[in-house]
Amino acid sequence: MDTVHFVIDKPERWDSSFDPEMTDADVSRLMEIRPFSEMDAGKFSKRTPLRGILKNDARIRRFKNGEIIVRAGDYGSSAFLVLSGHARVVLNPGLPASLLGRRKSQRKGLFEIVAQLWTNPRDPEVRTAAELEQDSGVKVGLKQRGVFLQDVPRILDEHKTATMSPGDFFGEIAALSRSARTATIFAVGDETELLEVRWQGLRDLLRFDDHLRHHIDRIYRERTLATHLREIPIFKRLNDEQLKRVIEQTQFGTYGDYDWSGDYKRLAKEGTRSPEKETTIAQEGDYPNGVVLIRSGFARLSEKFGHGHRTLNYLSAGCEFGLREIAHNWRQRADSVPFQQTLRVIGYTHVIVVPTPVMEEVVLPTVPEHELPLRFTSEELAGAEQSDTRRKLDAGAKIGPELMEFMTENRFFNGTSTMVIDMERCTRCDDCVRACATTNEGNPRFLRHGHTSGRIMVANSCMHCADPVCLIGCPTGAIHRGQSGGEVVVNQATCIGCSICSNNCPYDAIRMVEIREEDGAFMVDKDMKPIVKATKCDLCSDQIGGPACERSCPHGALKRMDMNNLDAFARWLNR
Amino acid sequence: MKGFLRRRLLWGSLLVAATIAVASVYAAWEGATTRSAYLSGWLLFGLMVVLTGYNWLKKIPYLPLGRSEVWLEFHLYAGVFTGVLFLLHVRLRWPTGWFELVLTLLYAIVMFSGVLGIIISRGWPKRLTARGGEVPFDRIPLVSRQLREQAEALALSSVAEAKSATIAEFYTRRLHDFFAGPRHFLSHLFEIRLPLNALLHDLGDLNRFLNEQERKVADQLVALVRQKDGLDYQRALQLTLRLWLFVHIPVTYSLMLWAVAHIVLVYGFSAGAR
Repeated sequence: MDTVHFVIDKPERWDSSFDPEMTDADVSRLMEIRPFSEMDAGKFSKRTPLRGILKNDARIRRFKNGEIIVRAGDYGSSAFLVLSGHARVVLNPGLPASLLGRRKSQRKGLFEIVAQLWTNPRDPEVRTAAELEQDSGVKVGLKQRGVFLQDVPRILDEHKTATMSPGDFFGEIAALSRSARTATIFAVGDETELLEVRWQGLRDLLRFDDHLRHHIDRIYRERTLATHLREIPIFKRLNDEQLKRVIEQTQFGTYGDYDWSGDYKRLAKEGTRSPEKETTIAQEGDYPNGVVLIRSGFARLSEKFGHGHRTLNYLSAGCEFGLREIAHNWRQRADSVPFQQTLRVIGYTHVIVVPTPVMEEVVLPTVPEHELPLRFTSEELAGAEQSDTRRKLDAGAKIGPELMEFMTENRFFNGTSTMVIDMERCTRCDDCVRACATTNEGNPRFLRHGHTSGRIMVANSCMHCADPVCLIGCPTGAIHRGQSGGEVVVNQATCIGCSICSNNCPYDAIRMVEIREEDGAFMVDKDMKPIVKATKCDLCSDQIGGPACERSCPHGALKRMDMNNLDAFARWLNR
Repeated sequence: MKGFLRRRLLWGSLLVAATIAVASVYAAWEGATTRSAYLSGWLLFGLMVVLTGYNWLKKIPYLPLGRSEVWLEFHLYAGVFTGVLFLLHVRLRWPTGWFELVLTLLYAIVMFSGVLGIIISRGWPKRLTARGGEVPFDRIPLVSRQLREQAEALALSSVAEAKSATIAEFYTRRLHDFFAGPRHFLSHLFEIRLPLNALLHDLGDLNRFLNEQERKVADQLVALVRQKDGLDYQRALQLTLRLWLFVHIPVTYSLMLWAVAHIVLVYGFSAGAR
C-alpha cells in the first residue's frame, strides 16, 4: 500500500513578516532615507540582508492627528523612525492616566463594598455600561486598533511637549532593554508616517551595522547608564570623570528571546527544559573578565553538582555577578580565582558588563576595604567550608534545592504576587475560590490547581510578573500596570479582545471571556459576534482589604508571595 | 519562636486567662447572687452567636473584617471557652428533663464535630499531600470512570489476544465491583491497606494460570488497581474534609434555635429577669 507523505517547508524566520503588505517599492524608498542610506548592505549576512530586514521586520504606519504612538508605561517591542509629518513627545510631567486610556485606579468606598451584597449580578461576566465607558479624553478605534487623544490643542496648551521630525528615531531603549516606555508620543496632523521596526529586526540592524548601534549606544549611555550606575553602591563614589571612563568602557549584552513565553511554553510541553540548554552569560571556571550587572530580565546562578548543575539562585534586575571574584583577584594577584558559579539566561536577560581592567583601575580603588566583598579563603575554594556570602547567595539552601529548581524551571521567580498554597495546610475547602468569585461579581479569577513541588502548589493565577510578557503587543494598552502597587490590570473599556495578552502569558493566567449585559444577554458587535474581553486576577486592587483569596483562607495555607524575596518565602515555609 | 507556635501560645494564654477570670467572677457571684446562671447563660449564648457568625463572615469576603485565619483561631479557642461557660452554667450537673437533655446533646454534637473537624483539617491535608496523585474532588468521578473503562477494555482484550478467559473471569469475579464505584472508605480513613493487599495478592496468585501475554495484561491491571485505590483514598479523605461541616453547621443552627427556646422558657417560667 502506498504511504502518503506530507511534506512541509522547514519554518523560516520570515515566514511571518511584520507586515505582509510591505512591498519592494517601500523597501527601495526606505533605502533612500537615513540611516538606511548610510548603511553598508554588504556587512549584513546573506540570511538576513538589510533589504530583507526592512521588508520583513519593519512596517510603515500612518497615524492620524492625536493618535497615540507609544504610551508612557507600556511595554513595547519595537522602535520607530519618523518618515514624514510630526509627532509630539509629552515631557515630564506626562499625561494623566485617564487621558491614556488607563483604568482609573480607585478603591471602592465602604458603602460600595457593602452594596456588593445585593448588587452582584446573577450571570457570569456581566459588564455595566459604566465599566465599558471610555474616558472622554481618549477614544479607542476598534478598526484601526488605535487610541486617540481627543483634545490635542488643549493638551499642547497644558503640557510641555517636544516635536519629533522626519529622521528622528525613538522607542529603541524600551524595546531593547525591555523596560516600560518613559514618555507618551502622539501624532500631530493626519500625515504622520512612521517606520516601525520590531525587536528582532532592530537587533540585526544593530548587529551588522555600526552606524545605528553607535547612535543607540550613545543615547543609551547618555540617557540611562549614568543614572543606573549611580544607583549601585560600588559606583557611588566615582567622580564625574571616573564615571565617564566607566561609561565609555561599559558593554551591553542582550541574551535570549524578547518574547520568550512562546519558547518556554513549547519547551514546557516537550518537557525538555534544562539549565544546560540555556545560553551562558558567564561560565564557572572561566577568567572573570567583567562585573555583570543585570539590567532587566532574569538569570540563573548555578554551580556544578555531580554531572549536572545545581541552581543556587536566580538574579533579577539590580543584581551583580562576578564582583567578588574580581575584587579578590585585585587584592591577591598571585592567588587569582576564576568565576565560582555559572550565570545563564532564563528567557530574556539584558546585562551591562563593566570590564575587569576598568573595575581594577577606576572603580575598586574608590571603594573602602570594608565595603568590598570578602576574599575567598582556601577552605572555601576547596569546598571544605561555606562563607556567609556564599550562604546568602544559596537560596536553594533556604527553601530547599528541589523547590529552588521547581521555581526556576517553571519561571515562577517572575511573580511579584505569586499565589502559593501550602498543601499540608490546605483543606481543599475552596473558600479562596468562592471569596474570589464573590468579590469579582461571581467570576472566579483563578484556578485552585497548578504545578506542585512537595507541599507547595503554585496556583493558576496571575502572578503580576516583574517581567510582564503579557503587556507586550497589547494594541490599545488595555493591559497595564496599576498606578498604586504595580499590579497588572486590564481596562475593560479599552480591551478589544484580541487575545494577544492571553497568548503571551507563559502561565496561562489570562482568560478570554464573552461578556454579558446586565440582563444576562451576551453582548455582540454589529456582525452579531460576541464581544470578548481579557480577564485575570487584579489582586483585588479596588477592594480595601487586599486580595480576597489570601484573606479568606481559614488555615493560612494561601499566600501571595514576591518570588524575588526568597527570605520571606523561606520564613513562610518554616512558619 | 515559629509563627504557628507563637500564635498557639498567645491564644492558649488568652483562653487560660479568660477561664480563670470567668471562674473567679462566677465563684464570687455564686455566693452574692442567685442570678449567676443568667450571667453564664447570656455570656454563653452571646459567644455562640459570635461563633455562628463565622459562617456568615465567610460569605462576605469583600468586607474588610480581617483575615479568616485569625477569625478561625478565635472560633477555635472561643469554642473551647464555651465549654468552660457551659460547665459553669450547668454547674457540672447532668441535664434534667428531655428539653435540657436535647440542648446538652446538641451542644455536645457541635463541640465534638468541631473538635473532630479541626483534627481532620490539620491531619488530612498532610496525608493527601504525602500520598500524592491528587485529583480535584469534582473530577474524581470522571477519572474513576476512565479507569473502569480502561480496566474493562484490558480484560476484554485479553480474551481475544490470549484466547483465554482467565483474566476476564477474574475481572468479573474480583475487579468489576472494585472499579464500579468508590470502595474501602473506612479503610482509607484509618490507613488500613488490607483490602488493597488482598486484591493484589489475588492478582499475584492468578499469574500461575497466565501465559506471557496475559501476564503483561495482569501487570497493567495491577497498575490500574493501584491508581483506583489512590483515587478512592483521595475521595475518602477529601469527602470527610467536606462532610464534617455538614454536621457541624446544621446542628449549630439547631442548637441556636433550641437555645432561644431555652431562654424564652427560662424567662417565661421563672420569676422573671428583674
